[in-house]
Amino acid sequence: MDRRTLLKSGLALGLLGPARVLAASQEAQALSVDALPELKGSLTLYLGRGEGGLYETLIEAIRKRNPQLDLNVRRGPSASLANTLVAEHQAGVQRADAFWSIDASSLGLVVDQGMARAVPEALRAPVREPFSADAWVPISGRIRTLPFNPQRVTAERLPDDIMAFADSDLKLGWAPAYGAFQSFLTAMRLLEGEQRTLEWLRGVKQRATSYAGEFGVVMAVERGEIDAGFANHYYTLRLKQGKPSASVALGFTDGDAGSLVNASGVALLSDNPAAAGLVRYLQTQQAQRFLAEEAFELPMVKGVAMPAGLPPMSDINPPQVELSQLADLRPTLALMREAGVL
Amino acid sequence: MTPSRVNVWLSGLVAAVILAPVAVLFMLSLSADVDLAGQIAAITVNSLALALLTVLGSVAIGVPLALVTSYADLPGRRFWVATLSAPLAVPSYLGAFAFFAAFGPGGELSVLSGLPLPPVKGLAGATLVMTLYTFPFVLLSTRAALAGLDVSVLEAARTLGMPLPMALWKVVLPRVRNGIAAGALLVALYTLSDFGTPALLQLDTFTRVIFVEYNAFGLDRAALLSLQLLGFVALILLLESRLRASRERPGRTMTLKLPGAIKALCLVAASVIVLAALVLPVAIFTLWLVRDGAVGFDPGYLLNSVYVSLLAAVATVLVALPVAFAASAGRLGRLFERITYLGFGIPGIVLGTALVYLGLQLSFLYQTVTLLVVAYVIRFLPLAVGAVRATLARRNNDLTGAARSLGASSFEVFRRISLPLSLPGLVAGAALVFLEAMRELPATLMLRPTGFETIGTYLWRTYEAGYFGRGAIPGLLLMLVSAVAVMMMVLGEGRLSRRHSR
Repeated sequence: MDRRTLLKSGLALGLLGPARVLAASQEAQALSVDALPELKGSLTLYLGRGEGGLYETLIEAIRKRNPQLDLNVRRGPSASLANTLVAEHQAGVQRADAFWSIDASSLGLVVDQGMARAVPEALRAPVREPFSADAWVPISGRIRTLPFNPQRVTAERLPDDIMAFADSDLKLGWAPAYGAFQSFLTAMRLLEGEQRTLEWLRGVKQRATSYAGEFGVVMAVERGEIDAGFANHYYTLRLKQGKPSASVALGFTDGDAGSLVNASGVALLSDNPAAAGLVRYLQTQQAQRFLAEEAFELPMVKGVAMPAGLPPMSDINPPQVELSQLADLRPTLALMREAGVL
Repeated sequence: MTPSRVNVWLSGLVAAVILAPVAVLFMLSLSADVDLAGQIAAITVNSLALALLTVLGSVAIGVPLALVTSYADLPGRRFWVATLSAPLAVPSYLGAFAFFAAFGPGGELSVLSGLPLPPVKGLAGATLVMTLYTFPFVLLSTRAALAGLDVSVLEAARTLGMPLPMALWKVVLPRVRNGIAAGALLVALYTLSDFGTPALLQLDTFTRVIFVEYNAFGLDRAALLSLQLLGFVALILLLESRLRASRERPGRTMTLKLPGAIKALCLVAASVIVLAALVLPVAIFTLWLVRDGAVGFDPGYLLNSVYVSLLAAVATVLVALPVAFAASAGRLGRLFERITYLGFGIPGIVLGTALVYLGLQLSFLYQTVTLLVVAYVIRFLPLAVGAVRATLARRNNDLTGAARSLGASSFEVFRRISLPLSLPGLVAGAALVFLEAMRELPATLMLRPTGFETIGTYLWRTYEAGYFGRGAIPGLLLMLVSAVAVMMMVLGEGRLSRRHSR
């Protein structure tokens, strides 16, 4: 992610703070922080990765606004925290009140253990269609995209079927070791079956260059090293923010894994009222706008505008996949190894 | 009970504590389905190739440098010993990261020089990086062994007409073989258990695949792979135990006059190593610091790091004493000492997981500094035991025997002879443990108290967040503090050899 964007967002926090941002806009129906009661007591949050450090910024803002809240944050890789939570649960030890993870599969693991408390109606209601807060509350989302270089390939030449990329003559780029890519591949495995996914991997491998991360994929598209790549949507938007003339555009596939929408979210793990209270803060207009404007993530609350640079959501047709099923990564990794891409 | 019995009992207790996480691994691995067979062959080849090549590279660099810095009249000898030991102060993952960022298309160095530098990655890249940051183990252990040699034999050989290189090869090297092997063992163990370098440089070793499985919620398979990795660690330990120590009465040291050309060659070689291992990462971090400025770092993180690392250093040395004494006392003690080496071979992420399970059984320990320190002790005990034993092995039995025959009680022998004699080893061991604890990451992330940030965990956060520039300050600080620990170690070595030559 672009360093400057991050620094700027940190600056914005210091200068504005949530209260001032509030005054700036009233267009949305999402709650404003001013409507929320102050949180009190002690709260332990397990925080699995913060995309671009921006989750940290939100945590700090919440701390500042609730001086009487003793907020303990335990940070770690999502999977590691999920494994820890499961071990704690099995031993009958309760430390965490809530688990905020960038990765739906980690949430799925915790939910499968029966550790998550029911989501109160007040937290369900604001969630944007077609998402829902069944076992955990989605906070922000991201969509799989096909960043392409319009100088090397026209939008029309880009297949709108993800499976067709295996037989295309495009020069492609991917980051197979990256978690979001593996979730996307898991969705493909669930939708198309193991055999077709394996063939797809083998086909794309013939024409793909590997990069360490998906920001690297997008930069390679922009430099013209490759025609198109596979990446989360926000990398392209962040690149274009720093460099508006960047020659990279976003392509979407139609109703398949290629346009999977994945979400980060919070699972409530105790009856501590401050846990639900914290989630309400994350659902405020200010927090959601912050995530959309600074991180280019998809806000998960009704009435908050999508990040600039994305087509209207009505034009995007994501596949029907139960996000919690994406936790089943192992068969996906086995396929990737069989195809020799991991 | 005699003190040596007490030591053996204590040592057995320590061995039991170290085996506890291994037992947890067995428990966790029970549910693993064994469809890994094909993959394991490749992982094994990669891991062993990396360990073997790194050992060869470390010996090839470390032994000649040890000979030269011990015997030759190099200008600034102490300076070179200190700077050549300093790569120990650079966590290999920071080194790997610097090489990764400097080389390859778009790398900082490629951009600066305008040359298409090849990327540092895969087996060759990982070998290069691991060698650069582990060869000081061989350098230091070989130097320690050389310091205990009487060079009269070497001079005798030369008087009888043997040329110097031949004399070094035939007379000196066989007698320091054990010192070299001890260093090589540490290099092999360190390489097998290092996670950061193979992960960054994309080489599928046991540690990297363990991490991938762990993140794919394959805790059972991660545990199974860890047990296999431990099998290799045990094998290396067995090999090393076959090496017999040669004891001799320490005698005079010597200084060789080297021809100018060879001296220059040595200095150039040493400079290249220092440039690659030290100057490059410092330069990369400084570049980022200049570019991004110093923001966001809380000095409290440094205090936390120093605090737990000091606790770990003291605790580890205290635990190492009975283990080392017991190991000198008999076979059972020797076995327990071997067991303590297993801890070094358990990757931090796996040890962390196992201790989460154990800690949850004793929930007053869970997520406390105490449990974190226990993890460090388990992981780094071999470093302290090795350092203490190295000093014990050389000069103990004659003196203690004499003292006992003069009527000293065994406690008095310990207090007045064994302990003071092993003090330099204790300091060196404590410094090594401090160094490793400062940089440990995966177990720290899992076991620390909630909200407890160290330099290591903060570095991880900046890396995760993509604020590479913010990693510059903690990265440089980590190297600085570690450098102080290395200096202490080298000074400890210096004091030892001075006392020795008196």
